[in-house]
Amino acid sequence: MSTVEAPLYPIAVLIDELKNDDIQLRLNSIRRLSTIARALGEDRTRSELIPFLSENNDDDDEVLLAMAEELGVFVPYVGGVEHAHVLLTPLETLCTVEETCVRDKAVESLCKIGSQMRENDLIERFTPLVKRLAAGEWFTARVSACGLFHIAYPSAPETLKTELRSIYGQLCQDDMPMVRRSAASNLWKFAGTVESAHLKADIMQMFEDLTQDDQDTVRLLAVEGCAALGKLLEPQDCAARILPVIVNFSQDKSWRVRYMVANQLYELCEALGPEPIRTDLLPAYVRLLRDNEAEVRIAAAGKVTKFCQILSPELAIQHILPCVKELSLDSSQHVRAALASVVMGMAPVLGKDATIEQLLPIFLSLLKDEFPDVRLNIISKLDQVNQVIGIDLLSQSLLPAIVELAEDRHWRVRLAIIEYIPLLANQLGVGFFDDKLGGLCMQWLQDKVYSIRDAAAKNLKHLAEEFGPDWAMQHIIPQVLEIANDSHYLHRMTLLRAISLLGPVMGSEITCSKLLPVVVNASKDRVPNIKFNVAKVLQSLISVVDQSVVEKTIRPCLVELSEDPDVDVRYFAVQGLQSIDQVTMSS
Amino acid sequence: MAVCAAGNRFVAIMLKQILSKLPRKSQKSDSLDSAGLDSGNHTSNLSNGVQCTNIGNSITSRLSVVKRVSSAVFPASIMAGVEAVEPNLSFKDVSNPQKQNLFISKLNLCCEVSDFSDPEKASSEQDLKRQTLIELVDFVSSGSAKFNEPAVAAMCKMCALNLFRVFPPKYRSNTSSGEAEDDEPIFDPAWSSLQLVYDLLLRFISYSSLDAKVAKKHVDHSFILKLLDLFESEDPRERDCLKTILHRIYGKFMVHRPFVRKAVSNIIYRFVFETERHNGIAELLEIFGSIISGFAIPLKEEHKMFLCRALIPLHKPKSIGVYHQQLTYCVVQFVDKDQKLANNVIKGLLKYWPITNSQKELMFISELEEILEMTNMVEFQKIMVPVFQRIACCLNSSHYQVAERAHLLWNNEHILNLITHNRHVIFPLIFPSLERNSQNHWNQAVLNLTQNIRKMFCEMDEELLLACQRKLEEENSQLIEAAEKRKLAWEHLETTAAAFKPAATNNVPPVKPATPLVAC
Repeated sequence: MSTVEAPLYPIAVLIDELKNDDIQLRLNSIRRLSTIARALGEDRTRSELIPFLSENNDDDDEVLLAMAEELGVFVPYVGGVEHAHVLLTPLETLCTVEETCVRDKAVESLCKIGSQMRENDLIERFTPLVKRLAAGEWFTARVSACGLFHIAYPSAPETLKTELRSIYGQLCQDDMPMVRRSAASNLWKFAGTVESAHLKADIMQMFEDLTQDDQDTVRLLAVEGCAALGKLLEPQDCAARILPVIVNFSQDKSWRVRYMVANQLYELCEALGPEPIRTDLLPAYVRLLRDNEAEVRIAAAGKVTKFCQILSPELAIQHILPCVKELSLDSSQHVRAALASVVMGMAPVLGKDATIEQLLPIFLSLLKDEFPDVRLNIISKLDQVNQVIGIDLLSQSLLPAIVELAEDRHWRVRLAIIEYIPLLANQLGVGFFDDKLGGLCMQWLQDKVYSIRDAAAKNLKHLAEEFGPDWAMQHIIPQVLEIANDSHYLHRMTLLRAISLLGPVMGSEITCSKLLPVVVNASKDRVPNIKFNVAKVLQSLISVVDQSVVEKTIRPCLVELSEDPDVDVRYFAVQGLQSIDQVTMSS
Repeated sequence: MAVCAAGNRFVAIMLKQILSKLPRKSQKSDSLDSAGLDSGNHTSNLSNGVQCTNIGNSITSRLSVVKRVSSAVFPASIMAGVEAVEPNLSFKDVSNPQKQNLFISKLNLCCEVSDFSDPEKASSEQDLKRQTLIELVDFVSSGSAKFNEPAVAAMCKMCALNLFRVFPPKYRSNTSSGEAEDDEPIFDPAWSSLQLVYDLLLRFISYSSLDAKVAKKHVDHSFILKLLDLFESEDPRERDCLKTILHRIYGKFMVHRPFVRKAVSNIIYRFVFETERHNGIAELLEIFGSIISGFAIPLKEEHKMFLCRALIPLHKPKSIGVYHQQLTYCVVQFVDKDQKLANNVIKGLLKYWPITNSQKELMFISELEEILEMTNMVEFQKIMVPVFQRIACCLNSSHYQVAERAHLLWNNEHILNLITHNRHVIFPLIFPSLERNSQNHWNQAVLNLTQNIRKMFCEMDEELLLACQRKLEEENSQLIEAAEKRKLAWEHLETTAAAFKPAATNNVPPVKPATPLVAC
């Protein structure tokens, strides 16, 4: 057709696509906006493409979301930072749409662009945009505005700064809770840019207002940012202004508020000196560890180690350790799991004696917990465990737990334990491993669930790496190769998978003498799935073995398969032959 | 007014439900009363109906708790002359002038909230409290209560202390894996008394001689906000009580109406734009259904805003099934009052049209049908193209229920009439779908329906049908060509683009650090 030769109008291509009824086409073209921009060149991108996009804001949310994202990285295409401001117009509109994801993305992109813009442009273009949004009629604009102040503020002159602070203050008292929530969750970002004097006056006033809001949801978000805010203040100011609020919230009647405090408490400690931690935060934390509500205890238990790290060992032993004991017997399995995931880190803090005397029993009881997640969380910290209690004690209490988990009825649990086997092997050493765990590793190869069989194959590879080819030759290869005679084709497939993984580790010689014959033999399997997997494995072994072996063994086998009646087998065989040719050509 | 009529219906139903669940305890209550009185020192005085100021020790201690709580909340002037009456007396045992004070004492007694950690203690306390609440309900329903300011204050305080609570977190299953999602709602162990408190609150709000001017000081914005928070309850019985009460508040307190509407809008915004989790949307919409049907015509701009900014976006959340019936009712009420709104509603439906959720799609088609049925020709013509583009997709749905439901639109006489009049626009939109269905839809019922519609078209305007057929064949042959052209255009673009070098990259001024200065 003539259009191909005719001069191309990139904008026309885009417009045409964006009018298409098929949303997938519209999405594709938005995703390739940068191509269009590059084809247009910077000038025409500024004068044609950006205005067009500013108008085209009535599309599906999905398209708008893609547009908001693309525009965030568009600065180079409009001619660099001095022209970055042209991108503000389309993004401003996207900041006001209904859909939350689109707005969030537009704000994110605006921040990206704003942080590159020249100071003058920020004052003349960016800040007015923020002010317009903050005065927006509908809440969407005002919600978006809250996330932009921290970009506009630093370069603003003094009077403008005063104005921006006052506008933010108004947003904190907006009529709509949606806006106040956004103001609360962005407060700490804005606070980070405000000068110390105003921080203590204006920003802290906003913080206090938000923490007294009549909507629980707003107060919650104010708490969420308190640690970040606290870190901006001098420790004594933090102790005077933020600490009382938080200690008060730690006894709030809403469990959500207490939960949030439990999450924030440790972070807040970093902003405070040791004294207020000891007198105020520690008691509050201990209360949260003993909270009535399991959700709160979960949050608090997860921070136990970090908290101990900032306390003196005496305080930790005196106040935290008794709670840890209680938590290890908590009625909620989720609390115990949360504890189990961090408790090992306490050992270095408490020192050897306290660890053996006090922590070890807790630790052993968690390892015997009836709930698999708890045990898994302990086992996953195995290296730490080993350092503390030593290998003998560990293996005694660990092994039954592992054996049990290895046969857990939830395959995800089995998967998790397989993934820890290489770590275990490393910690326990070869002797221990042979006795107890070797059998398990083979057993997983014939699991009912594919993911487990696959993980088991990978595990063998890791073991071979850990203990070396000689050990593998003795303890893995013979057992694995036996599977070749298994009557279940899925098991035979796992064998092929294992071979493709083991080949590179075992090296050329063993691969040729032991593994390759099994693969070639499998190419005569009656199941086509096995045969095309043979083709795949052969392809992967090309790089492992010598050129001569490739020509002598692999190629003939692939040639044979390429004439198979099954279309898939032929396809993969041809693929294999092609990669042989590529290797031959390049060498 | 329609609001009140519907409200009365709610109240009647709710009372019947509550009363039917109450144990009949009238005889038993006497024995309980006398048992309670034995602990006092002045049994004889009491039984003679003489006012008693010296109270038994055990009771004094309880009362002092109550007094401490009350005086912290209320100025002494309001409480003056109130604390003198022993709350465990029965209404029939005190003189008429004293009844009012006894009423307040009993309300104060009920402010104590049981702790359920000790089940045995809790159950005896609960019994006493339930008994007192029943007496209060009886007293109010007998019409002898006077809601002066102290009484209103005591009532609101008692309701606030009992009702306004934080719901526990969503239950996590204790059976190791979270895959078996357990959707049993949690029921508050104190429900039996909560129910009575709700009953009392309802009777209070609906009390004929209640002066809204006095009551609004205590049934204030914060009271209403807390009440609205309770709509999050997982217990449908509780939400049902709340629905009736909020509706009555809306009816009784004219001053609060704008506030209630605004607060409910905020709940809806949060639900739609932030959390997508709320248990009480259906109930809130039910109240709004009758509020909307009471709106005067022409509709105020504020109310139309509510339709466009709250109700239409409510079509987006996944859980729409829970409240779709109530939502449709609200929307229909709006369109009924102003036909022009049909357009906004339909545009909204098309905007939020579900792509992968067939159950939701079925609801959308039903709603669309309901709205189209109310749309006149002029409004219809403004939106028929996008509507029938969407319907064309539904006709082809591989979910047979969706396809079937879309075909059934032709059975609606009003819609069929609209289609027939605009067939020159609609036929060409629908025709390709019909062809595609007859060629490869898997479901026999759908195939039959497609054939019917095709026949209908043929009888209506055979010439047009043939024209569509020709056009389709033409388009099909162009389809591959168009795709090829598109591919070439993009390839061409890519090569042009490859030559692009950002002119500015070499002379970019040093980028200012994004992280601003931080005090300390």
